[in-house]
Amino acid sequence: MSSSSIALRELQRDLENKANDLSKLQKDIAKNHQVRKKYTIQLGENELVLKELDLLKEDANVYKLIGPVLVKQDLAEANANVRKRIEYISAELKRLDGSLQDLEEKQHSKREAILKVQQRIQSHQAGKAKA
Amino acid sequence: MGKPEVKGTVTPLSSMFPPEEVQKAAKLVEEKLSEKRNEMSQLKEFIADNTSLINLVQKLPDELHHDIMVPFGKAAFFPGRLIHTNEFLVLLGESYYADRTAKQTVDILKRRGKSLMSKVDALKAEMQDLKAEASFFDSTASEVAEDLVEIREYEEDNSNQSESQSGPTELESPTLAETDHKMDSKMGASKDDEYARLMSRLEELEKEELAAENGEIDEDEDEDEDEDANATETDGDENELTEAAFHRKKDEGYSSLDHGQRFSESQPTRQLQQSKGKEAMREEISNKYNHQDLTNQFSCTGLTAEPLTKGEMSCGRIIHQDKMLNPSVNASVPSENKPVQTSKSKFDSSKAFTGSIVEHTENLEKKTPGQNTTPSESSGSKPSKPVSRFKMQRK
Repeated sequence: MSSSSIALRELQRDLENKANDLSKLQKDIAKNHQVRKKYTIQLGENELVLKELDLLKEDANVYKLIGPVLVKQDLAEANANVRKRIEYISAELKRLDGSLQDLEEKQHSKREAILKVQQRIQSHQAGKAKA
Repeated sequence: MGKPEVKGTVTPLSSMFPPEEVQKAAKLVEEKLSEKRNEMSQLKEFIADNTSLINLVQKLPDELHHDIMVPFGKAAFFPGRLIHTNEFLVLLGESYYADRTAKQTVDILKRRGKSLMSKVDALKAEMQDLKAEASFFDSTASEVAEDLVEIREYEEDNSNQSESQSGPTELESPTLAETDHKMDSKMGASKDDEYARLMSRLEELEKEELAAENGEIDEDEDEDEDEDANATETDGDENELTEAAFHRKKDEGYSSLDHGQRFSESQPTRQLQQSKGKEAMREEISNKYNHQDLTNQFSCTGLTAEPLTKGEMSCGRIIHQDKMLNPSVNASVPSENKPVQTSKSKFDSSKAFTGSIVEHTENLEKKTPGQNTTPSESSGSKPSKPVSRFKMQRK
């Protein structure tokens, strides 16, 4: 009897741990979503800028706001910078996608493990009730 | 066809869709909807600002300079002048600015306005979907409140029953997120039931046909196989002979082949049946096939299980199968006695004949490869009675 109750307690502790892990995973997934959102918005904006820059004539003045300073930039330079930024953002998005998938898989497996532990607890309790 | 067992389940809707759950689901949808409304109002503000800005930018170059009160710090103004009224420093995004004239600025602003409008349209579409969901939930909630009861009866065997039984048991413990799935599975289950019923009926009919036709088929098949063998193997003289016979047969088989083509597009597996001389059977089968056709093609979009009367396929779903022959065609066909293996029956009952049947041998040959093996074999090997059949049909 005592051994089974000890086992029961262990199982419950196990369950708690797993539940904590699961909630952590869920928070990570939520963060991932947020960062992805931000990046997606930035990507959209950068693409808009690129479009407008393409419409500018060669000699048009382009400025970049760096802190409180508006700095004159070369059109070609600005184009290159924007393009690089777009590439960087897309790479980041891909990376985030991959990590999101991993997190979701882990979450899935955690959920299954939790179910199993719960089932074992139930069978324990059923066994105890019979005895 | 054993005697159908009629078993049924009577489940009160409230047990399948617990009212609280339905209400919660409805509330969720309402919240989402209100979120979308907020976004929509924000976007509309943006659009309004954009248009007023366009107006301002268009007005400024009217004067060489404007006298204005210039804001100074947080709480002061001083009188000043606005000069260079045609030069604008436009924010392109991501802290990039560009010098532009008034006209160019207006162009930029108009482009931004367009993208805003497209976002608004997308939002509207989403809101529509959410509203549909909400209305569905409301209707189920009202049904549940009225204590409506779902009654299911099955004429089929255990498989169906087990399906239906699993349905309610699943539904008994729905979580919020799952209520949607449950409702879908319920709908799916009923569709599947109908579908399964149709399928089993079809199988029974097929078996009967096969049994009846086997005798006739064998003879004809031999003939056709011979012709096929001849056509492929021989050259020269033999070719001519066989080709002549082939063409004759092809002509005969036009109508059937066309049927076959259409049929193969939709229901390859079922085409084996030759409905010869059995109009009644054919009609039935064709009706069944039509059902099957529809159900298979459109994954049981709530079609009734009644055999559609010929020509009733208002479900112009199979519209893209344009060249369907009228049932009258089928009626004329059996009299011909030609073994037409293709799934004529299938098409007969439901499709309206648009009268654009192309009678080219080339077409036939080209199309047969695209079909299922069965129809291709059958159609390739069975050019039935030539144009005569056609003409009969046309008239």
